[in-house]
Amino acid sequence: MIQASHVSHFYGAEQVLFDLSFEIKSGEFLFLSGESGSGKSTLLSILSTLLKPSSGELLIDGESVEKIKNIDYFRQSKVGFVFQFHYLINYLSVYENIALAALEDKKQNIEKILEELGILELSSRYPNEISGGQRQRVALARALVNEPKIIFADEPTGSLDSKNSQIVYGLLAQAVKRGTTVVVASHDMQIENYATQIIRLKDGQIL
Amino acid sequence: MISLKALSKNSFKTLLIFSSITIAVMAIFLISSVSQGVIGMYSKMINTDGDIIVTQKGISDTFFSNVDIALIQKIDALPHVSSSYAMIVGASPIGHIPIAGIYGTTANHFPHYKLAEGVYPKEGEVILGENLAKQFVVKEINIGNKKFTISGVYSSEIGFEEGGVVMNIRDAGKLFNRSASFLLVSSSSPSEIDAIVGKISELSSEVEVKTTQTFVKEYNQFKIIENSSLVISTLAFAMGLMGIASVMSMIVNSRKEEFGIMRALGKSRLFIIKNLFFETLIMSISAYIFALLLSLGILAMLPHIEMLQGYVNGTLSLSTALYVFASTIFMALLGSLIPAWIASKTDPILLINQGCA
Repeated sequence: MIQASHVSHFYGAEQVLFDLSFEIKSGEFLFLSGESGSGKSTLLSILSTLLKPSSGELLIDGESVEKIKNIDYFRQSKVGFVFQFHYLINYLSVYENIALAALEDKKQNIEKILEELGILELSSRYPNEISGGQRQRVALARALVNEPKIIFADEPTGSLDSKNSQIVYGLLAQAVKRGTTVVVASHDMQIENYATQIIRLKDGQIL
Repeated sequence: MISLKALSKNSFKTLLIFSSITIAVMAIFLISSVSQGVIGMYSKMINTDGDIIVTQKGISDTFFSNVDIALIQKIDALPHVSSSYAMIVGASPIGHIPIAGIYGTTANHFPHYKLAEGVYPKEGEVILGENLAKQFVVKEINIGNKKFTISGVYSSEIGFEEGGVVMNIRDAGKLFNRSASFLLVSSSSPSEIDAIVGKISELSSEVEVKTTQTFVKEYNQFKIIENSSLVISTLAFAMGLMGIASVMSMIVNSRKEEFGIMRALGKSRLFIIKNLFFETLIMSISAYIFALLLSLGILAMLPHIEMLQGYVNGTLSLSTALYVFASTIFMALLGSLIPAWIASKTDPILLINQGCA
């Protein structure tokens, strides 16, 4: 599904990832673990095509990310993102935030997903009118709407209490059961209970 | 749709940009209009009642010009001359007013000043422009240590005249110690004007004779006002436009996180640029219209502000309005689309992180 070979990354003169090579198979729940500053968020950004690596190659389904012709369509149709701080657009309602990400033929999924996540009644509310846990569920709904092959989540429970964290992990685990590949970067060790593969990072290197 | 949502939900930012554009556009309008208004008023004063103007030779300003009034009789005798009159233009404190325009003229020019009340002035009398008259409830006023009786009040479309005093030319001559500032001559046949100019020039070697149109075009004071106004308006214009571009650029930079999220969700650069284009267009057009209406309102009010005595007047030409419109839209788009284009080329995660910083 995803092959990273000899991936390194620099921020200015500072090297944050050192020659990383690994493979993620389809349908796996990968847990990228490591302390703060270990490089897990940078690696997640590279794997999710949101950041170009300084060197090395990334293949998704056998195709080099560099050679993907329409990266925008690729991101919209094949990949879902969940960020730590939800990153919803503040001037769009819950429904509109999800519709913004949805492909035309997937817009019919919106209400169904909102219902599954128990936030259908929040459709017309704006991000500043709902709680942190509800926002993160909206962000998850946005990531799921196009039925992507892979979901990337960076500290998805970082701003949530343990009850809401369990809900988010449960929802990600359900996505794995449906065949979606899930990659989560987090320092929350609870996620080990759900993971099928773990990559531990320290100072930009795999332990 | 998204553009309208972004504008309405981010009401503070929208208000900030709207106000900045409105103020910048108003500054451009008012500065250029008021300078154009000053030139317009004086040109109109001279152009209204004469085809030819006779001033003292070698004098740069009509305030310092002294022409022998006796020349009028010789001019009147020339063929194709229908009428002529003499005028003294000066300025002096009047009562508690620090300075006001004083127009001394021959009686045949009095009808130019439309009487609102009273009668035209005899010797020792004056009529006041409506704006100036509002500031006096007395029947007599002091001008240059001489007392004059107010015989009436007149109205005029020209701001300088509305805030001034009209008197008999002999009284003005005594006040300013001259015969006449200039003579204005009208002709019954426009084709003979150049010939009349030549004939008047032959009457005296001490005068300079020009058509009023040429005079207005060549008058040094107008050139000075025009050049200063051009410099001031250009500076105001440049500052205003740079202000618009800076505000737009700052606002776009403050939305990097939002653009990063959109890029991460698979929205194209074109999608972001297109929405920003419409947002900018909606905002700058509405701010421009608001600024135009406010400016027109202020310009309409200026002649009626007593304190200004009608001396500050503005003219807003269609060409200026269109030029400012095109420049405003261009600068607003430049200020928003260039940083947006640069931002959209950045990796989405870096944009999101920059937006959070």
